[in-house]
Amino acid sequence: MIAEQPPDRSEEEVLLAFSVEPTHDRKTLEQYLADYPEHAKALIACSIELMVDATRSVETVATSDNAVDRAWQRFQSVVSQPEEASVINPFATLNPTSFKSLAKKLDINNLMLIRLRDRAIVAATIPRHFVQRLAAGLGATTDAVMDYLRSPPAMVSGHSFRSTVKPAVTEQITFEKAVETSQLTPDQQEALKALQD
Amino acid sequence: MPEPLKRKRKDGTPYERPAGIEDWLKKLEIVDASERLRQFATLGRKSPGYVPSEVLIHFLRRAWAEGMHGDFEKHFRILMKRVEQSLCSAISDARLAGARGIRDEIMGRFAERIAKDCRGRVGLLDFYEVHFDQAFAAFRTSVLRQIGPSTVETVPLGTDEDDGLEISAEVEAAAAEFLGGDPEKIDDPAFRSALTSAIDSLPDDQKQVIGLLLQGFQIDSKDKDVMTIARILQCDERTVRNRRDRACKALKIILQEENAQ
Repeated sequence: MIAEQPPDRSEEEVLLAFSVEPTHDRKTLEQYLADYPEHAKALIACSIELMVDATRSVETVATSDNAVDRAWQRFQSVVSQPEEASVINPFATLNPTSFKSLAKKLDINNLMLIRLRDRAIVAATIPRHFVQRLAAGLGATTDAVMDYLRSPPAMVSGHSFRSTVKPAVTEQITFEKAVETSQLTPDQQEALKALQD
Repeated sequence: MPEPLKRKRKDGTPYERPAGIEDWLKKLEIVDASERLRQFATLGRKSPGYVPSEVLIHFLRRAWAEGMHGDFEKHFRILMKRVEQSLCSAISDARLAGARGIRDEIMGRFAERIAKDCRGRVGLLDFYEVHFDQAFAAFRTSVLRQIGPSTVETVPLGTDEDDGLEISAEVEAAAAEFLGGDPEKIDDPAFRSALTSAIDSLPDDQKQVIGLLLQGFQIDSKDKDVMTIARILQCDERTVRNRRDRACKALKIILQEENAQ
């Protein structure tokens, strides 16, 4: 069980905290509205729901087991899911301008950087020195960038800049092959090959 | 001894179960699982021997933590049956179109929360061991805001006439009398129950205004430090008054009809 709370409380968490307060009077609501103005409408709805709920009588009604069965299936599907990958995409925060300037800083072109971003290159073949420079340019740790590069290639969407490469799940190639086929200048190719571990 | 709750308040103090719930936990942890399950199976809240859901969810979590997955499923099914009963009352077929599907989705999402808690991920279930019904009402509110039908009347902010309908002076006077009226009547459980049920049937924008008025918020104030309804809802105070007046008119009709029955 994780006891630490995330710094930004979700709407659900704020409402739950509000709901278990000893009272839900004006003072309590005012305090929550002041603390969580972003959840104001949800808090008001919740305070009214709690007020109405207190006078609502729960009658025992005849129900079938179907809804409970469906809930059980949903529980089972979530509880057996593999852990979500904790790998963060270090390229996610780059805008088109910073993407291009990073390529320039690394003395490569956009296509090569796109291949790195899309994990189209076998991570094990990328020189460690190059990963260190890439990490420094991305403002991330070398390990975090390596973890990202090691994760399976995937179609990357949501990039707002134009690319000459059609987005697709690509088959991974070696770093050397990528250097040779990314339309880099002979000098750039030579510099990158010199980084080989 | 039942394990203390792990979740903490904003000030760093841990949440605690009410004394009555702790007593139930101590009482039930010394009996065997089959006897506990027998006691949990009592569905009617007014039935003798009904065990609070705070206790049920505690033993549900404990069954998972101890690897007793067979017992866990039994606890889960009893809990979900209770949740379904509660949802049938809060989201009745008469209240909402498609109520059954909404109830199903809320149950499904709650099942997901339980699954996440079992996996040790940002468990929010501690809240349900403090006050189950209130916590579940909060959860329901949050889910309904995402999937429920919107009954909020869309009114441009800052307008003084919500829909062009003019509120007569008589209605406004009646509203003031209604809300500021006889406190004894408001405190009367039967009247309050009828009133809250009538409020529940109002459109969301009117419900917000009435709910806040009943909690003692002012509609407007010249003092900028006072949290008023107009400021909370970010609309013109005349819009608030119009919503209040229309709500009061509707409430009077509903309550008069109930009295006539």
